[in-house]
Amino acid sequence: MQNTLRKSHIMADRTATVSRLEEVVATSDEFDRVVAQALPVLLDRAAGYTKRFLRETGQWNDDIEHEKFALRWGSEYLERFLVCGRTEVPCRPLFLFDSLVAKQHSKPEPFCYHPDLLKPLGRFLDGLVARAVVSRDALIALYHHSYGWGAGDVIVVTGLNGLESQRIYKNFRRWRESGWQRTMDEMGLTKTELAGLEDQRQRHRQRFNSEAERLIRVAQGHYRKSEPDHYPCLSRSQWGEMFSQGYGCDYRIWHLALCLDCMQTAWGLGSNGSSAGEKPRLELQVRP
Amino acid sequence: MGQEEDLEVYRSQLLESITEHPNRSARDLVDPIQVYVNERRVGELKGAETEATLSVHGVDHIETVQLRTEDGRLLGGLVAPESGFRTNRVQLFADTVELCVQNTMQGGSLSAVFIPTPGFWSRIRTILADFAERRMVRRPEAAVAYGMRTVAFTQALLAVAVVGLVADRVMVWTTPEQAVAPTVQAEALRTASIAEIEQLAKQLGELRMMQTKVGEALQSQEKGMTLLHQTMARLSSTQESVASSVVMVKEEMEKRQEGPEHEADRPAQLPPGRGVVDQEQFEVAIHGLAADNDRLSKQIAGLEEHNRTLTAKLQLALAHVAKAVEQNSERVVAREADTARKHQLLPVADSRQNMQAQPFLFWVTFSEGTTQETIDQWVNGMKGHKGVINEGWQEVQILPPPVPPDLFLEQIKGDKIIKEARLNH
Repeated sequence: MQNTLRKSHIMADRTATVSRLEEVVATSDEFDRVVAQALPVLLDRAAGYTKRFLRETGQWNDDIEHEKFALRWGSEYLERFLVCGRTEVPCRPLFLFDSLVAKQHSKPEPFCYHPDLLKPLGRFLDGLVARAVVSRDALIALYHHSYGWGAGDVIVVTGLNGLESQRIYKNFRRWRESGWQRTMDEMGLTKTELAGLEDQRQRHRQRFNSEAERLIRVAQGHYRKSEPDHYPCLSRSQWGEMFSQGYGCDYRIWHLALCLDCMQTAWGLGSNGSSAGEKPRLELQVRP
Repeated sequence: MGQEEDLEVYRSQLLESITEHPNRSARDLVDPIQVYVNERRVGELKGAETEATLSVHGVDHIETVQLRTEDGRLLGGLVAPESGFRTNRVQLFADTVELCVQNTMQGGSLSAVFIPTPGFWSRIRTILADFAERRMVRRPEAAVAYGMRTVAFTQALLAVAVVGLVADRVMVWTTPEQAVAPTVQAEALRTASIAEIEQLAKQLGELRMMQTKVGEALQSQEKGMTLLHQTMARLSSTQESVASSVVMVKEEMEKRQEGPEHEADRPAQLPPGRGVVDQEQFEVAIHGLAADNDRLSKQIAGLEEHNRTLTAKLQLALAHVAKAVEQNSERVVAREADTARKHQLLPVADSRQNMQAQPFLFWVTFSEGTTQETIDQWVNGMKGHKGVINEGWQEVQILPPPVPPDLFLEQIKGDKIIKEARLNH
């Protein structure tokens, strides 16, 4: 009985919230206030739209992985809406939100979907690479998670100068302190799942890494489109010129982190080939 | 833990991360801000304590602009319009990033400007400088000494404060705890100053927001006043039109109340009005005609007077001639009578003299078998001269005949040798 009453209260609240979201808000402050009270409603709404998109494109399964995937993208859309929507006032927040989600879903490949990327290892890799696109900390940390390198190694491999080197250390520190945990939380990876991954890595190292390499290529292929100006893959001579001339610092950092093949191609150019050993292979690190 | 619970925990985590305050913390105050256009990274604003600008031009339309920290948190952004400008000020802690996006047919462009908040000491310096300047300006001569004393006192106070701070730091370094946790003390000092900065920045931010709000309120009031004026103007014009309509309706009602007899009278009443106008026009025309008539009468009178004068002069001249030349009185009388007759026929005689002065031309063709000799005789008989021959027609010049030309031509056509005669070739 109490349960039923609580549910009916919740329903009434949601209806009232949706009604308020349908009304015009005139200022940014009003927008913030109204939307802040309706975050759960909006999150569920965006997740619902994402579910429907996956169903309509034949990518949906009734399991917790797909539910988490829909929630994750729903929160992405909601985050963008919170920041950008307040510049669209006066507006009706609900309709603006719907249009924003519809706009995202009308793009080709709005998100990186692969059934194997919904499993713990896939989610871990998807989370790392997706985060690397929007966070320099995650991008630099990708060198560590992919090859097990520290800040010094990254500086040498990418051929960075002193000023940039300081930033790399800072990126590493921040990632260890908060970035990694936030990313894991956003991907919905539980402690148990992470422990399971760590266990697999130690027990079946080769199989684990080869599976990780297969999946990380899928993720990198999708997210590399978000690189600055579509930095393309280069030949060794082109990379060599870039390293020797000292330009394209951003290019090197962004592309080499997101492309296993180019890392192989450009291997040793950062240290002038002096300390270059065997070409790097994926050695996935779960912990930062 | 069941799957539903797991999902609920995940949902709660997501909501929690969304509700986190996105502003930059003091810790990442000096880190560059990543700029994304259409969810692609296009560069960064490397502004710690100095102003920095990033300009992006592309062939693609800009849809969204996002500002992110190095750890990926979304700080702000905007949705660009399909076409035209849009600007946005993103407040990041105490700093500001001004975004300006423009979309045209040729593509989109973005200008992002990072405007840092001035440092604590620079703000203090500015405030003191402003204060001193104001004092100097307000108290030009008489109170200069007092102003200078105030500035000197402030400077001394500042110096004491600085010395105190330095002494405090030295004491902290020299205390035994320094060896245990030197970074904690330094951190505490740093944190204290940062807290002050934060508080001041917050106050400044609030002040700025209040100013903006006041400005907006003033603008909206101005707009409201303008709208009110426009509405008043519209209202007054509407009132006028309504009043005139009321008057018209009243008149109409009065007319209707006056009865149908007035309706019948109305057409009869209308022509007099028109008749008055016509009468006026007629009067004007009559006046014009009368004036013309008077003028013509005067001219005729003048001409008659002139004619009489001329006649008198002629008679006088004739009399003188007659006296001088004529010896025969009968001839004189006859001439006088003749002169008198001539005087009566003067206009006709004059016209004949004029006509006789010009030869009469006509063209003739002669009957077949007419010899040249016969033709010459005919021309001589007419006391005329032959002119040119054109296409069988002979031009003949004679003195003007006493009869009208048409009759004359008919007369000569009666001659046997004349086949055809006409005035023009």
